[in-house]
Amino acid sequence: MTAYVIRRLLGAIPLLLLVSLISYALMALSPGGPGAILGAQARGMTPAVRAAFVAQLGLDKPWYVQYFFWLVALLHGSLGYSFVDNRPVLEKILERLPITLELLVLSLIVTLAVAIPVGVQAATQRGRWFDYLSSALAFTAYATPVFWLGIVLVDIFAIHLRWFPTSGIAALGQQGNVADRLRHLVLPVVTLSVVSFASWMRYQRGSMIEALAAPFVRTARAKGLPERLVVYRHALRNALIPTVTLLGLTLPGLVGGAYFIEYVFSLPGMGLLGIDSVFSRDYPTVMGITLLSAILVILGNLLADVLYAFVDPRIRYD
Amino acid sequence: MRSAVLRFGRERSAVAGVVIVAIVVLGALFGPLLYPASPIAIDHALMGSPVAPSFAHPLGTDLLGRDELARAFAGARVSLTVGVTAMLIAISLGTVYGAIAGAAGGRIDALMMRVVDALLAFPSFFLIITVEALTEKFALVLIIAIIGLLSWMGVARLVRGEVLSLRERDFVEAARALGASPGRLIFRHLIPNALTPVVVAATLAIGDNILVEAGLSFLGLGVQPPTASWGNMLQGALTPDARNAPWLILTPGLLIVVTLLGFSLLGDGLQVVLDRSIGQNLDAAGDGAPSLLVAPLVAEAG
Repeated sequence: MTAYVIRRLLGAIPLLLLVSLISYALMALSPGGPGAILGAQARGMTPAVRAAFVAQLGLDKPWYVQYFFWLVALLHGSLGYSFVDNRPVLEKILERLPITLELLVLSLIVTLAVAIPVGVQAATQRGRWFDYLSSALAFTAYATPVFWLGIVLVDIFAIHLRWFPTSGIAALGQQGNVADRLRHLVLPVVTLSVVSFASWMRYQRGSMIEALAAPFVRTARAKGLPERLVVYRHALRNALIPTVTLLGLTLPGLVGGAYFIEYVFSLPGMGLLGIDSVFSRDYPTVMGITLLSAILVILGNLLADVLYAFVDPRIRYD
Repeated sequence: MRSAVLRFGRERSAVAGVVIVAIVVLGALFGPLLYPASPIAIDHALMGSPVAPSFAHPLGTDLLGRDELARAFAGARVSLTVGVTAMLIAISLGTVYGAIAGAAGGRIDALMMRVVDALLAFPSFFLIITVEALTEKFALVLIIAIIGLLSWMGVARLVRGEVLSLRERDFVEAARALGASPGRLIFRHLIPNALTPVVVAATLAIGDNILVEAGLSFLGLGVQPPTASWGNMLQGALTPDARNAPWLILTPGLLIVVTLLGFSLLGDGLQVVLDRSIGQNLDAAGDGAPSLLVAPLVAEAG
């Protein structure tokens, strides 16, 4: 297992190189790329100052040379410096990362806690009203844009009912207060959970229907086990295995959704930093966030595969 | 074929999907003709104080005094145009790419799929907003091209998988033995037989593209005002002045929800029908369940 994890981690390196190369090229070659930023910032500079400035940022070299320098710096543990405030990009991202991770992990917990029981129930009641109702809800949730849902929830629960704050992660002077932080996270977490509920619930339902049709379930019933034990002990255990793989598949979408949620709720996480950086043309920060998002997704996929082997001892990676 | 249509007719949710999609398409085509109010004409008398839905303005007016229903129709045109054309780009690219990878096999296949993995590894939405923001032109053609060019990877995987299983089949063997060129093999024999799951993916992709366009326009990186799009209508409703005008938030949001619902029900219905009639298996968990799973593969939009 350890050997497998190490091999997968090594395998992720070329993937990350490719991700960074593609994003670097796209950004460098697009018409609003760093050259254009420079054009805007360099207004009013004398030609000599401008040339020095260009050379200092390395923007006088072709993009692939710049990319090479970026890689060398990365090997030294630096993602470069922000164009906006000149702080190290890594530092800027790391201080924002916890909020994004909290959002993702909390909403994953909420989603699973709701979607798995509902999926199981829908499978056992297949073709009856609960099944139809939950599937209808899943389809509707899936069709709901995450940013719109966020706006509607803020409107109802923050502006009209005043139960939760409208935005941000902490009230003034309440930094470090866990209860206050959680209160700020309720609406964003609910929003993200509603949208991801659909895939998990439908998938759990599908795998549960399959498990309930398996011969060992018939055996369990035949030997007279109560239905509750048959469903929850025998069928569910097997039906959870395919569900685990969904973790890897939904992660990119979840990260994308988190960006929107941070934007709508002004949560100062990595996603909001990303969107702000895109708008302010903070090229090194955008690169850093792209790379980190990719790492997050790749690690999530690896985690899903490892979990898969963990929950199903029949699967061996060697 | 006839039995497939009948089967489709029995899937109530699929029929609901067809009806919804038909209404949206008809609204986009004929709405602006039947309801002649201008989507961009500003009524200065109503500026700043949006009018609630009434006989003169069935969906009310927005903060600039523009008729909301006219904007909804105009937005439907934008959404469907982007959804369908970006889908065509992504499906063609993904199908050809996946078929070549699957048919080539070996190292070429491994390399081509690595590129797909890399593109799938980062939230494509972030890539799309980055490219959008940097190009800064926001022409509809550009938005379509960017969405299409960055969302073909799921289809490529799907088609490659199909082709890998098809290329060992006897009829492909026979074509190869008869001396078919690789191009003929791919375009005449492999792609046509791999298209069934692509039809489902294409239907779902239209919905995904509509969502991406709405998201981009919502962030101000898509269709630019005064041209109406459901996304920028929602963006426009986010000022404190609009707090007492809930219809400005509800109209574009519900339009997006209903349209996406239509396309995903339609895709789901198609999947169930095609699955049973051809016996091709897209469906890992049985029961036609995971069409919602194909979707996240097609585009990781928010």
